[in-house]
Amino acid sequence: MNGNGFHLKKIKLLKHLPKSLNQLTKIKRHKHHPLLHHLHKKHGISRKTLLYIKEYGPHSHVAMVIIKESLKVLLLASILSAFGGFALEEIKTLFVSIIPLVILLPALNDMIGDYGTIVSSRLSTMLHENVVQKKWWQTPELKELFVQIAVVAMITAALSAVIAMIIPVFTSGYDIALGNAMKIFVITIIDVAVLVSILFFTSIYAGLRIYKKKEDPNNFLIPITTSIADFGNMAVLALLVMLFF
Amino acid sequence: MKIFDKNFKEIFFSQLVSIFGGLIAGTFLAIYTDKLLLIPGMLILIPGFLEMRGNISGTFASRISSGLFLGVVKPKYHETKLVKGNMWAATLLGIIVSAFLGLIAFAFTYFTMGTLAPKIILLPVIAALLTDLIEIPLTWFATIWLFRKGHDPNNIMGPFLTSTGDVSSVIGLLVAMVIL
Repeated sequence: MNGNGFHLKKIKLLKHLPKSLNQLTKIKRHKHHPLLHHLHKKHGISRKTLLYIKEYGPHSHVAMVIIKESLKVLLLASILSAFGGFALEEIKTLFVSIIPLVILLPALNDMIGDYGTIVSSRLSTMLHENVVQKKWWQTPELKELFVQIAVVAMITAALSAVIAMIIPVFTSGYDIALGNAMKIFVITIIDVAVLVSILFFTSIYAGLRIYKKKEDPNNFLIPITTSIADFGNMAVLALLVMLFF
Repeated sequence: MKIFDKNFKEIFFSQLVSIFGGLIAGTFLAIYTDKLLLIPGMLILIPGFLEMRGNISGTFASRISSGLFLGVVKPKYHETKLVKGNMWAATLLGIIVSAFLGLIAFAFTYFTMGTLAPKIILLPVIAALLTDLIEIPLTWFATIWLFRKGHDPNNIMGPFLTSTGDVSSVIGLLVAMVIL
């Protein structure tokens, strides 16, 4: 019998399995209980399945578990987005008068956030696979990832800028001068280039530090990079609009 | 160095889907600028509101996908305790986070412009409820459908949900404006 009242010898027998699985739901979430290890070893149930049963088993309140775990992160993400929004709100009159930029805003936010997620998850996998060299800039896989993301980012940024300038011509007869069209195109390219570079180097710096501390970079890098993307995109966009217009 | 490989194609096509949704949402914003964006505090609210939808629906789809792969969620269109719990959580999270965003926008407009606009708190909450009506069943059906067709929903649902989430959120905000 262990501290939590579970009889570890009993659960080694298959006939006690359903009861043992129910007991999983009573274990506090942050505890790495030996019961999980025993069930995995003795009954060959994958650790992921055991984790799922522990979190969302028949005796747990599924909605409450999810809300408890997700709310803090969602509120933090909202605060960061709101901070980015403060910058745009300050130049609102100017910003809403440039219709293509209004059309581009959600697309840019999505795009840059997605690049943050891709870079973070791919870098985390590379760190786990020990692919990243001590001199990280000499790692061919990292160079390839950077070039791929940069190329996709430039193509999609250019494409979305052009589409965003064409749409208002058809929807509201918006007449855009060549000079302004060039400015919008350049703003989009600079915004995406600056943020992709920031995201890439922040991911590497933070990822290496987190990995050295024997933590899983997956759990930290995605929230860090998506937050930088949200806040950064709107702040950089506001700055560029003030500079160019 | 191989640049134009399978990874490049996957990233590129998922981004095209994501941009498509973002541009549609942006077009709605541009058409209804006078009704939406000119409201004080709206530029603080909208980016967070759009992002929240993707985050909530994305994690909902990801949990259902994990459940499907582990066998604890059956690939059938009937609601089990686990699915219902997930749906309730996604709905409630949407309402709580929307109200929070509304409060931030309200505080900002009050302290910087001296404008009292309580409407900005209620607006995202109603919009979140309306968006939930579309997004939550859509996420559930699409995840199950993709799994039944032999796809990994994790690879497809992310960009799909950010696109649909952007469009339905902006429409939700516009309908909420009409209601209020």
